[in-house]
Amino acid sequence: MRLLLVEDNHELADWLAKILRRDNFVVDVLNDGEAADQALSLETYDLVILDLGLPRMGGMQLLKRLRSRANAVPVIILTANASLDGRVAGLDEGADDYLAKPFDIAELEARIRVQLRRSARRPDPVITCGTLAFDTNTRLFRLGPEPLALTPREHAVLEALLIKAGQTVSKAQLSQSIFGLDDLADPSAIEIYVHRLRKKLEGSDVRIVTLRGLGYLLQHAH
Amino acid sequence: MRIDSLRLQLLRWLLLPLAGLVAVNVFTSWRQASATADLVTDRTLDASVRAIAEDVRIDRGVIDAIVPPVALEMFDTGHRDRVFYRVDTAAGRLLTGYPDLPLPEPPPKASAPVHFTGSYRGNDLRLAALSYPLVGATDGERVTVVVGVTLAGHAAMVRELWVGNFGQQLILLVAAGVLVIIGLGRGLAPLMRLREAVMEKGRDDLSPLPDHAVQSELRPLVAALNTYMGRVAGQMAAQRRFVANAAHQLRTPLALLSTQVAFARRTGEAAERAEALAGAEESTRRLARLASQLLTLSRAEPGSRRPRDEDIDLAQSARQVLEGLAHLAVERDIDLGLDVNAAAVTRGDGAMMREAVVNLVENALRYTPKGGTVTVTVDGGAGEAGSEAVLVVEDSGPGIPLEERDKVFERFYRVLGTPGEGSGIGLSIVREVVDGAGGTLVLGTAAAGGLRVEMRLPGV
Repeated sequence: MRLLLVEDNHELADWLAKILRRDNFVVDVLNDGEAADQALSLETYDLVILDLGLPRMGGMQLLKRLRSRANAVPVIILTANASLDGRVAGLDEGADDYLAKPFDIAELEARIRVQLRRSARRPDPVITCGTLAFDTNTRLFRLGPEPLALTPREHAVLEALLIKAGQTVSKAQLSQSIFGLDDLADPSAIEIYVHRLRKKLEGSDVRIVTLRGLGYLLQHAH
Repeated sequence: MRIDSLRLQLLRWLLLPLAGLVAVNVFTSWRQASATADLVTDRTLDASVRAIAEDVRIDRGVIDAIVPPVALEMFDTGHRDRVFYRVDTAAGRLLTGYPDLPLPEPPPKASAPVHFTGSYRGNDLRLAALSYPLVGATDGERVTVVVGVTLAGHAAMVRELWVGNFGQQLILLVAAGVLVIIGLGRGLAPLMRLREAVMEKGRDDLSPLPDHAVQSELRPLVAALNTYMGRVAGQMAAQRRFVANAAHQLRTPLALLSTQVAFARRTGEAAERAEALAGAEESTRRLARLASQLLTLSRAEPGSRRPRDEDIDLAQSARQVLEGLAHLAVERDIDLGLDVNAAAVTRGDGAMMREAVVNLVENALRYTPKGGTVTVTVDGGAGEAGSEAVLVVEDSGPGIPLEERDKVFERFYRVLGTPGEGSGIGLSIVREVVDGAGGTLVLGTAAAGGLRVEMRLPGV
């Protein structure tokens, strides 16, 4: 799951990103509206956390432009303006949720989960494929009764595959999900992560199938 | 005694003089009644003495002095007055009557009666005396007739004449009082309505009162009231804006603090926790500074407090400020210096001026990299007329791009890409203070490439 955090206070943005990365999200941080607008038109995100008081391009304008491109990515507004008018204006402009600063991290996390569940149209917080289960609340994988220990990159790849279990996920899509803006996106690295994941899934009823020239597919082997 | 009620005051001013006039009027009417009663009594006495005198006759040397009853009956007015009389010859021989009844002094001569007062047997009397030729006398002999009457009938007449008049006056006074009270009630009704209009408004409602419903004398009062409320409303709005702004400004640093604390609580690594806690500590320090800056800004705002007006020696102010900030310069290894070219004195609020200089120098120290220089220069006309007091702060930091220079004085504006520290309030404080002192503020580029802030203030 790849999130974009747009917040002009560098420190707040950095510390928030640290916490979200601990939750196994891939997080991109941008500090001004124009850069965020550019990133949103080039990259694929699963969710955007948006501050309104941004330099160069305000959060509301950014949101307007985003929706005018028919981009339906869930947006949570994070702002110091706690007024009702601000809330209504933000939601009317196409935001999915609105959180006033200062906020409780746990609440932000919960709201992120709600938006991700909603956009995936999955009311059940636990996603399963065979004995492999991913709890979107704790953001941890389980294989049978045992927790499955993964590196952040492995986690990102497996999450992307599990969400689309039974469907082909292209290398490009995987790359969008696991590499942040600051990472050197190396498609060949994906093969390494897939290889490691196959090892960790060995002996279970779940396997990753390679479809040459198409991508990968997570399958429940009967 | 002070009377606060407008009604009572007006009533007093109207009724006290009116009562005085009535008192004078009552006195004069008593005098008139008394004079009228005197006249009536005197006429009756005249008639009585004549009637007696005309009946005294001499017949063959014998004087016959018989008092006709009608002369005494005319006094019977139902007030039980007693009548005394005497008839004497010119030689002083008593012919008839009461021998010790008082006589007029001097004795009457002409044939017109004289009137006088006296007392007889313990009674106050009004008397008339007439010298009259003796009827039938050949030698021109005269008799003197004196008639006196007690004053009961006289007093009754005075009372009757006067009390009626007094009653009328009293009714007039009471009627005037009642009319005044009614008139005042009606006249003051718009004032009362105005009072109610002021009282019934909601606590937050400072909209102007309508002035068409009150008399023209009260319109200036309503206008003054409206002006005052307008001023209060303006100040309240500014205050509300400021508080909202301040709350807004505190939200992001608070969010940062809470995020750092949350991270510290979650992470298992000691090094990460230490970093997060250090960050939280720094955030707290910065929040405290922000709070004190907000307080300073609220004090620097026009109308927020009565500014002091005193001579400010800029060189001395700058020296104080630099001494206070020396530790910061040492910490950051910055060469902080003060050049005083000439004495510079201006007028204003010294404490606020120092606050402004603190913010300028602090800004310079904050944005100047380690090992840089910050120089404060003070210049002035040394007391010459029309000269300006100038304070310049130069640093070797990154400066402010030309297109940003107008905006940095706006509250809470921060130059894009500047790292953490600043709150965006410092230069707003400086501008409020310099505006308040009637000076100007110019941003430029320093010789060392950094920012140059020039503060020009009217000299003394």
